[in-house]
Amino acid sequence: MAIIHDDFGRRRFLSQAVMGFGLLFGMGTLGLRFLQFLIPSPTPKRYEAVLIGAESRVPVGDAVPMDLGGQKIMVLRTNDGVVAFSRRCTDLGCLVSWSKEREQFVCPCHQGVFDKTGRNIAGPPPRPLDRFEVVKRGGQLYVNIQSS
Amino acid sequence: MESAASPVEHRAEPKSWIDYIQKDLPEHLDWWPYTLGAIPLTLFGLLVATGLLLTFYYVPSPDKAYESIEQITNEVYLGWFVRGVHKFSVDLMILFLFFHVIRVFVTRAYRTPGELKWVTGSVVLLVTLGMGFTGYSLVYDNVSYWGMTVVTNMLGTLPIVGQPLLYLLRGGEEVSGGTLLRLYDLHTKLLPVLLGILVAGHVVVVRLLGFADVRGSRRFHPFYPEHTMMMGAVAVGLLVLITDLVMIFPPTLGPPADPQEVASDVSPPWYFSAPYMWITLLPGPVALWSLLGAVGLFVVYPFLDRALSERGWPMTAVNAGVGTAVVLLVVVLMMLDTRM
Repeated sequence: MAIIHDDFGRRRFLSQAVMGFGLLFGMGTLGLRFLQFLIPSPTPKRYEAVLIGAESRVPVGDAVPMDLGGQKIMVLRTNDGVVAFSRRCTDLGCLVSWSKEREQFVCPCHQGVFDKTGRNIAGPPPRPLDRFEVVKRGGQLYVNIQSS
Repeated sequence: MESAASPVEHRAEPKSWIDYIQKDLPEHLDWWPYTLGAIPLTLFGLLVATGLLLTFYYVPSPDKAYESIEQITNEVYLGWFVRGVHKFSVDLMILFLFFHVIRVFVTRAYRTPGELKWVTGSVVLLVTLGMGFTGYSLVYDNVSYWGMTVVTNMLGTLPIVGQPLLYLLRGGEEVSGGTLLRLYDLHTKLLPVLLGILVAGHVVVVRLLGFADVRGSRRFHPFYPEHTMMMGAVAVGLLVLITDLVMIFPPTLGPPADPQEVASDVSPPWYFSAPYMWITLLPGPVALWSLLGAVGLFVVYPFLDRALSERGWPMTAVNAGVGTAVVLLVVVLMMLDTRM
């Protein structure tokens, strides 16, 4: 292939390169902005204490599923006290249920199993269930849930 | 000797785009397995037609989506039929795309200068899978709702792009009404336009680059009317098959989506069950990276083939082996999924 040594070829190449990069940069920026428009930014989380009722609402050894403003939780009462877990399986987001006989949380999607402390003990879940703080105020239980 | 020479060589060079489309075809395309590419094309047309009809009734909101599908299925005149044709067309389209890919892979029809044919075709397959998933989610019964939750979660675990992709698809952290609207927009606007362009591009690229050489295939047969008739016969056959399938297995609808109760069978659609099982069985990062790697290799396979055959690898045998192994693995994973 012949190499062009004249100014005309060089000038044309430079001008086309600048225009090409300019166009790419412009389109890229526009594309990026459009993508940002489509991807909502994560809203800041804050903790909120939500009243879930008296302790007696949950029988000992049992867990009660609740929906607190979209947060699906499971309130479990054992001899050690009351604990609240997110029902979202840490594998692929299905909802876990409490098995009273086995004293375990079981995910129906891939048989992920968590013990009563929320620890992942079998199946594909990579980490324990998310846990929420439970506070007792004047005989009533409150769960500190994340809300956006 | 006149008849032995290729008649196309005696013709004037094609000039307009219609001449490219109508260019005569190598004689091996007379054989039925070589219509495997025309089948998904026909089904795509059928999907566009029935999909357009369905949009006249479907309402993409969590309160109305299920109700509108119920209305389409049980009340609207021939609604069940239109929905059934749409549903079977997508299943068959994906199935025949797989067959087409296997045929091209085993015969190594992507060899130079056909790399671009493979690359455009592989993107067509990926976008079609995206169409399948988004459409499956729109039904909004409980299986579809949890399928959508699980698949978007799966995408969310992808490295780097996972979380932005999750937010992009869901319109937030959780599956919500916004998610349904987004998937609806993707399914009825963005992806079909993209797929239409890609399919047209794939067909044009195939016609421009020509068909792969097949040993013994020296003659040509006319695109019109011979090959067109053959494609017409395939289309009619498909229509008969789909009509029969819809009659025998009319579309059903499970209980409505219940965000509080996981469906008893949260399987994604059949074409995702193999990767779904793969992710289930292997530890997260290994499963994801291997899947991503496999998709990447799949798209650029012609270049890999070229590099390896230059080093003396017997690629025909390699492809036969790899193809068989992948098909077997997919079948085993799908069987495992039905048992879990």
